[in-house]
Amino acid sequence: MTQSPSRTLSAPVLYRRMAGASIVAQLRYPGTFAIQAIGNFVTTLLGFFGIWSLFHRFGSIAGWDIGTVAVLYGLVNVAFSLAETLGRGFEVFGGEYVRTGSFDRLLLRPRSTLLLLLGHELRLRPIGRFLQGLFVLVAGLWLAPHVQWSAALVLPWAIAGGAAMFLGVLIGQAALCFITVEGLEVVNVLTYGGVEAGQYPLTMFGRWLRRFITFILPLAAVCYYPALFSLNHADPLGMPTWIGAFSPAAGFAFFGVMVLAWNRAVAGYVSSGS
Amino acid sequence: MSLRPYLTAFGLQWKIGLRYRIAVVAGLVAQMWFGAVTLMAYASVYHAAPDVQAPLSLRQAMTYTWIQQSLFTLLPLGCLPAIGDAARTGAIVYDLLRPVDMWNWWLSASLARLLGNAVPRAVLLTCVAGPLAMLVGLGAWSLAGPESLILAALALVSITLGALLSATIVMWWNILTARTLSPLGSYAVGTPLAVLLSGMLLPLPLYPDWIRPFLLAQPFAGITDIPIRIYLGTPIPGGIATGLGLQLFWLMALTLLGRLWMRQTVNRLEVQGA
Repeated sequence: MTQSPSRTLSAPVLYRRMAGASIVAQLRYPGTFAIQAIGNFVTTLLGFFGIWSLFHRFGSIAGWDIGTVAVLYGLVNVAFSLAETLGRGFEVFGGEYVRTGSFDRLLLRPRSTLLLLLGHELRLRPIGRFLQGLFVLVAGLWLAPHVQWSAALVLPWAIAGGAAMFLGVLIGQAALCFITVEGLEVVNVLTYGGVEAGQYPLTMFGRWLRRFITFILPLAAVCYYPALFSLNHADPLGMPTWIGAFSPAAGFAFFGVMVLAWNRAVAGYVSSGS
Repeated sequence: MSLRPYLTAFGLQWKIGLRYRIAVVAGLVAQMWFGAVTLMAYASVYHAAPDVQAPLSLRQAMTYTWIQQSLFTLLPLGCLPAIGDAARTGAIVYDLLRPVDMWNWWLSASLARLLGNAVPRAVLLTCVAGPLAMLVGLGAWSLAGPESLILAALALVSITLGALLSATIVMWWNILTARTLSPLGSYAVGTPLAVLLSGMLLPLPLYPDWIRPFLLAQPFAGITDIPIRIYLGTPIPGGIATGLGLQLFWLMALTLLGRLWMRQTVNRLEVQGA
């Protein structure tokens, strides 16, 4: 993969060029882009209006105050929007690369396939989800009773872990496409379904679901525990609060496992195109 | 004027909807996941506040959620994909040349697409969430039967109107697509509106009391919310007649205005492509 540096671009420079081209392309239709970004902002903000309505009617979300729930909601949405922005190439991988056979062309380029697929598109549309998530997160910190100063460090760390985890899901989904060819919509259960589950406190779910989103998909590690730590809220399930300062690392571990799975899948790839 | 071309348009899109069997199963898994997450969240919210008199009992909220999940693809999430493609490539000009009433032509195709997607999924999920869930001992989480046979029959009439209403709203997205020359805008506007206003996000009766009359009176309530209320036997202000009346009113109003808008759009349509 190494070539003389004078002739080839380094990976970050190459990525920056691809991302720049993608941004220019998306802004070619400014009207459509504006409608999409606003639609994205409104959809996701309305999602929180639903939770707020439940809170309004029942006085609490299963005993949780609205501030804590808002922090959880904001965390999971900001993390997911980052993964959506970066990982578009993996999302469309089955339909646009495997089925058409154009993945073969990527394999001919002297760069990591992960880098090339990251450069497929730097999607601007999730900026709507990102902004509203940030908005709800800040509002939640405003409303929550015992916000810790350490939240300023732990929350960005948790968002990074969450983005890595969701990006890992997208990479895993793309790796599955080598078997299924077309993208599997079932994986949406882990992405959109993960956002849905992540925005509620862990205690609200049955044991099988709690285990799933703690040990298989480390959603609780990037969302629930860091939020408890930042708000100095004791865990009703009995885990020590300090665990939230370290648990986002699980998101990166999940990402690493998915990258390994990806490399294995690429090694066994047989072209489907002509 | 013969009905045949419209029936052909209907038949074609209906078959496309039935074609993707794996997508149906994938959708089933996703809807069961979302259903399970939502149900657990509602259950713990209801149990944490036993004194609150909600407009829906927990059992009713669960049935509401299951029916909503099973009818997800009946919602007008965006334009008809075929029209989106036609608008982008310029093939829309063929539709303009056909010696048929374009509104009815597109409407029959849109209705067939909705039904072809929704009917198999609804039947499957109803079987899984209803009888099957009872058999495996999850009766408390299942989809409950109707209050009475008369209500079930009325709900069936109402859901038929709901399907027509949804197809009429899809027509509005179709016209928007023909106007903006891209299907993306219609999805960006249509999906959030449909998900929120139909009661998919949170049952409409559970929103704060001050906003409920408005939510009942807007057209999206006629797609699934009013049929489900009739099925559950929850009171609608003014009785079942108001519910059916609202559906009929929106059906007529949206058809008349939509036809006007379509005529105006077609007159100044600029086709792209060659």
